[in-house]
Amino acid sequence: MFNNQQITGLPQHKSIEFKALADKAPLHAQLNWLVFYIPFSAILAAICYFNENFANNMQTYLLIGMPILILISMLYSVASIKLQGVAMRQHDIAFKKGIIWQRVTILPLARVQHIEIHRGPIERKLGLASLKLYSAGGMSADLQVSGLTHTDCKNMRQFVQDYRQEHTSTQAVPADE
Amino acid sequence: MSDLTLHPTQKTDAAHAQLWQKVSPWALVYFVVHFGVRFVRDGIFNLLPLGFVFVTQVENKLFWGQIAAAVAVSALLLYSILYYRNFRFCISSDNEILLNKGVFKKERLTLKFERVQNVNIAEPFYFKPVTLVNCIFDAAGSAAQEAVLPGVTQSYAEQMRKQIFAYKAQQQLEPDTEVETDEAAEQSSLFISNKEIAKFGLMSNMAILALAAIAPLINVVADVLEKQLITKVEGFYEQELGLVASAALFAIFTLFVFVVLIAVLLSVGMSLIRFYNYQLYFKGKKFKRIAGLLERHQLSMSLDKVQSIVIKQNIIARLLKRFTVEFLQASSGGAMAGMAAKKNKQTLVLPVLNNEQVNSVCQWIYPWFNNSALAFKQAERALWYKNLVLYALLPSLLVAVFCYFNELNYFISLGVLGVFAGLVTLSYQRYGYYLHEDNGRFYMVVRKGMIGVHYRVFELYKVQSASSESTYLMRRSGLKSLYIQLAHGFAFMPYIKEQDADFVIDFTLKQAESDTRSWM
Repeated sequence: MFNNQQITGLPQHKSIEFKALADKAPLHAQLNWLVFYIPFSAILAAICYFNENFANNMQTYLLIGMPILILISMLYSVASIKLQGVAMRQHDIAFKKGIIWQRVTILPLARVQHIEIHRGPIERKLGLASLKLYSAGGMSADLQVSGLTHTDCKNMRQFVQDYRQEHTSTQAVPADE
Repeated sequence: MSDLTLHPTQKTDAAHAQLWQKVSPWALVYFVVHFGVRFVRDGIFNLLPLGFVFVTQVENKLFWGQIAAAVAVSALLLYSILYYRNFRFCISSDNEILLNKGVFKKERLTLKFERVQNVNIAEPFYFKPVTLVNCIFDAAGSAAQEAVLPGVTQSYAEQMRKQIFAYKAQQQLEPDTEVETDEAAEQSSLFISNKEIAKFGLMSNMAILALAAIAPLINVVADVLEKQLITKVEGFYEQELGLVASAALFAIFTLFVFVVLIAVLLSVGMSLIRFYNYQLYFKGKKFKRIAGLLERHQLSMSLDKVQSIVIKQNIIARLLKRFTVEFLQASSGGAMAGMAAKKNKQTLVLPVLNNEQVNSVCQWIYPWFNNSALAFKQAERALWYKNLVLYALLPSLLVAVFCYFNELNYFISLGVLGVFAGLVTLSYQRYGYYLHEDNGRFYMVVRKGMIGVHYRVFELYKVQSASSESTYLMRRSGLKSLYIQLAHGFAFMPYIKEQDADFVIDFTLKQAESDTRSWM
């Protein structure tokens, strides 16, 4: 029978100290939003310009609503970035995120199937990158962090690869790769 | 030896040259059926526009239809013959299965023995008179990598299976190889009668799937039906029953019942085709299942490869007092691949079991598991309150508003409140988890459901990742939801005490990270 006794020496994920994302991560998030909002506003402006009926009805609402919407999403993304954090432990990698639903995900390094580093044009300009870690069975990446510096990403990837190499060599069954 | 290693390519080529084999001419039947089925399944939707043009534009339908059919059949035959002529296989000295195949696009498929997960033997009905079988090599995960040797003898297929598993056991270099334990272990078995299998047709979602499959055609069907049938049925009701006003409504209702009945019959038929004469054997940590009407499919699966076990009962199954048990293997690439894996027979399904049979199957594998006797830890009451507000109170308020504007009776919204509150309560009571230790191995059972019930059993070290989630209100009351990702499916346990959730996560991670056994 299994007892839920306090096991002494069980590593506690609660005590993990999460490292905040890169300094430029909030800027990246803002720019990403702008990439969406500028064309969106431009389209709305064009409609107002060409369709007088629409302009008469909506112009005031849009002029008040759009800046508020943009401001809220900017603030939201800054708060969201501030609340995100990653941590590498000896055997696993942890990631926390979320404003309303705060979520902590921990992925054992031995279960990582493959790793991807993504860099969009804005990320390249800012020296940032996104890290994606995949395990078996997940819908998409089990762990996805954007807004890390490219060097951090590469270091983490190296760490995971070293770990895999070290542990598969001692394991009885060779891994697929 | 040193000479050979200097020229590895020459060596392998020489080895292959001797061993390239053709399959029996009877395999031609397999190719015809295989490509015929594929043509119908994959091609039918692409041909729909053409079919539409044919129906609307072509005048001499019978003549051109016959020509089209003749062309299609002879193309299929020709393609199959060419495919058969080009089909060669070889078991190389490097312990690989090599296949040369293709007509327009020739391809070479190489499957290493160590990548083979299972060797399944299928006996289609058309091979019965000549006592041949299809030997299917199941590669880990992907369906595209699957290799089939059609029309080989049963003994050859079994010898291949032995050879591959012997090689794999030798590669693993484990002291207790499965081959040895096989002989000593006693064999348990389970047979399911075809009457029971038919019940699976009623229980399963296949009826819904069958409906979904004809959904794209529903417009066309409805058009035809309206012209041909509804008017007739309507006329019948009008004449016989004198129901002029509601005759149309009755006609549509009759038709609906008719369609549902057909779907159910289809579903029963499909489950009989899939599971006819179901036989299951368990010996030395290995399952062997033989079933199927048109094709006797033999599936073998090692218990170590199972990622999680699902025992479930939906609402119809509950009425029939039956359970379905599934043994799930790793699937890569998410839910779609999971569906494909199910179809591709990588999942061992025990379709209809009564309670005693479930218990006896559990006795084979996990003697401790008894779903009614386990002391599940339940979700906290906060989950019930939250769900009552979100899923019972809120909808009934919306209904009340709707009633107000449409001048309907307010009791409707009270009824909605009652029904939804009942369902929310049932679902809240079902949630539960249970941790178990057995001989130094740790297991977790997660229960969920509403009217039915769904258990997921897995060994903790196989877990892929673990998460916890909480909202502001949950953190204030010291609660967390627990989410565990498995290589096939996931386990979710909402609203448990924070320290319990943290403990489960820490303990699970410790198992996953310190256990040296391979989780695959």
